[in-house]
Amino acid sequence: MNSNKPPSLPHRLYSVWFRHVLVYTRNLVSNGLPPFMDPLIFLAGVGLGLGKYIVSMDDLPYVQFLASGLLVTSAMYTSAFECTYGTFIRLEFDKVYDGMLAAPITPSNLVIGEILWAGTKGLFFSFAVLIVVTLFGVLPLSTSVLAPAVGFLTGVMFGALSLLITSFVKTINHFSFYFTGVLSPMFFFSGVVFPVSSLPAVLRPVAWFMPLSHPVALARALCTGRFHAGLLLNLMYIVALSLWAGYFAVRRLKKRLVQ
Amino acid sequence: MSNPAIAIEHLHKSYGGLKAVEDLSFSVHPADCFGFLGPNGAGKSTLMRILYGTAEREAHPETRIRVFGFDPLQDELSIKFLSGVVPQENNLDEELNVTQNLVVYSKFYGMKRGEAEKRIDELLAFFELSDKRKSKIQELSGGMKRRLTIARALLHTPRLLILDEPTTGLDPQVRHLIWRKLRELKKEGLTVLITTHYMDEAYQLCDRILIMDKGRKLTEGSPQSLLEQNIERYVLEIMDPGAARAMASAEAPEGIRMEKTQEDRLVFYGNEAHLLRRLAKDLQHGEYHLRESNLEDLFLKFTGRELNELQ
Repeated sequence: MNSNKPPSLPHRLYSVWFRHVLVYTRNLVSNGLPPFMDPLIFLAGVGLGLGKYIVSMDDLPYVQFLASGLLVTSAMYTSAFECTYGTFIRLEFDKVYDGMLAAPITPSNLVIGEILWAGTKGLFFSFAVLIVVTLFGVLPLSTSVLAPAVGFLTGVMFGALSLLITSFVKTINHFSFYFTGVLSPMFFFSGVVFPVSSLPAVLRPVAWFMPLSHPVALARALCTGRFHAGLLLNLMYIVALSLWAGYFAVRRLKKRLVQ
Repeated sequence: MSNPAIAIEHLHKSYGGLKAVEDLSFSVHPADCFGFLGPNGAGKSTLMRILYGTAEREAHPETRIRVFGFDPLQDELSIKFLSGVVPQENNLDEELNVTQNLVVYSKFYGMKRGEAEKRIDELLAFFELSDKRKSKIQELSGGMKRRLTIARALLHTPRLLILDEPTTGLDPQVRHLIWRKLRELKKEGLTVLITTHYMDEAYQLCDRILIMDKGRKLTEGSPQSLLEQNIERYVLEIMDPGAARAMASAEAPEGIRMEKTQEDRLVFYGNEAHLLRRLAKDLQHGEYHLRESNLEDLFLKFTGRELNELQ
């Protein structure tokens, strides 16, 4: 034994995170390629077709408008998949958590490590989008290099939210409600494909409450250089929702992890 | 006598209305192997889980738990750090290969890289898995998975090893290998808690055993003393249905206890082998079996032969 004390909190969180990194990097080709393929397909689709009909959106070339939103949605989807299906399988089928909890790791460490991993995946996925759209000259290199940080925040927020959903789910099929009922509408009404301001006035507050609207606003600002004070509110929303969802996800999952 | 490694007093645990553990007390000395025997649903696994904090005990004023001086309610991490756990079901990480499974756990225990690599090599050799280091978990046989799970629990050189049915479903070769390894570890001072359904396993490994049923302790002691105190030395089993029926109607001779186990089957218990042999003198070879009593006889005496609703 190297010391008489169990590892420190940062080390415990790191070790949970490390497990996920090791699993993810084991299949580098199948895990590492799709994040780059997705934006390529999107560029081809918009560039070859859609872009001819919609030239600009909100005073931006449409392809730029969409690209800055895509930085965030890729992070949302990857973290949501990880913390719903991924978590559920580790929890119920593979019993991975059961083993981990016999090591010096508490249920909270496990859940928070999971959220940090979701953030890391968000970061990586938006980074992949950034590389592709920058290489193809869609987005000029600017403060956009900071957009993956928004990807991280998106991953953390949707990781926490998805874990909270997972804590209620008893059957894996129920996740389809979350994906089609919550995430898909968000993709369309959070300012990714068209600006929230063009929604009917009654729906605009609804869009504002949608979690995805806020990282989209941040990413778009970083990609276009149009900064304003309202962005602070967006950032606060992300932090607040992450903390709220994270807190209840930890509390509820603890009950499922400890008998 | 030194401080016990584990001391449990008046432990209670229920799931809904079901009492999983009821007023259980026992203590385990350092470097002892302590065995839990009991039918399925007796509360053995729950008890183990409570010790390392993946099950919460019921709040009860008299309850006191100390594992190396730590209470799982306050010092879950310290206990987990000093213990290695082999659960009933292998919960190896199927997304990682053999070595990676161990590497990940070395991180959980905060081991340094060089130290971990050395220890992993040692353990893979110890459990005869060295040529499987790059294998996927799905490619391993049941016995290999079990050995790997035990190796994983020993990675950080724990002071306590918790084994929940370590050899269930394994072939005799692997079981004997595991027993041999466990005896070696015990000699090095490792304290072992084990649950098992194999009475020979308990007899081979355990210094003390505790028989429990429906969450309650029925008896506790060394295997030899429990046998001596609770059951006759010899057992005569009558396997032939005709002979059993005939003998069942007659009274058992002085000093012999008769028990009807199933339809058409009879068991006699006695301390004098020659009395039992005399009882079987008219029977053909194959119609009866005369042997020394063992833990299984004791176990059945305490827990009964009938199934309960949890089994």
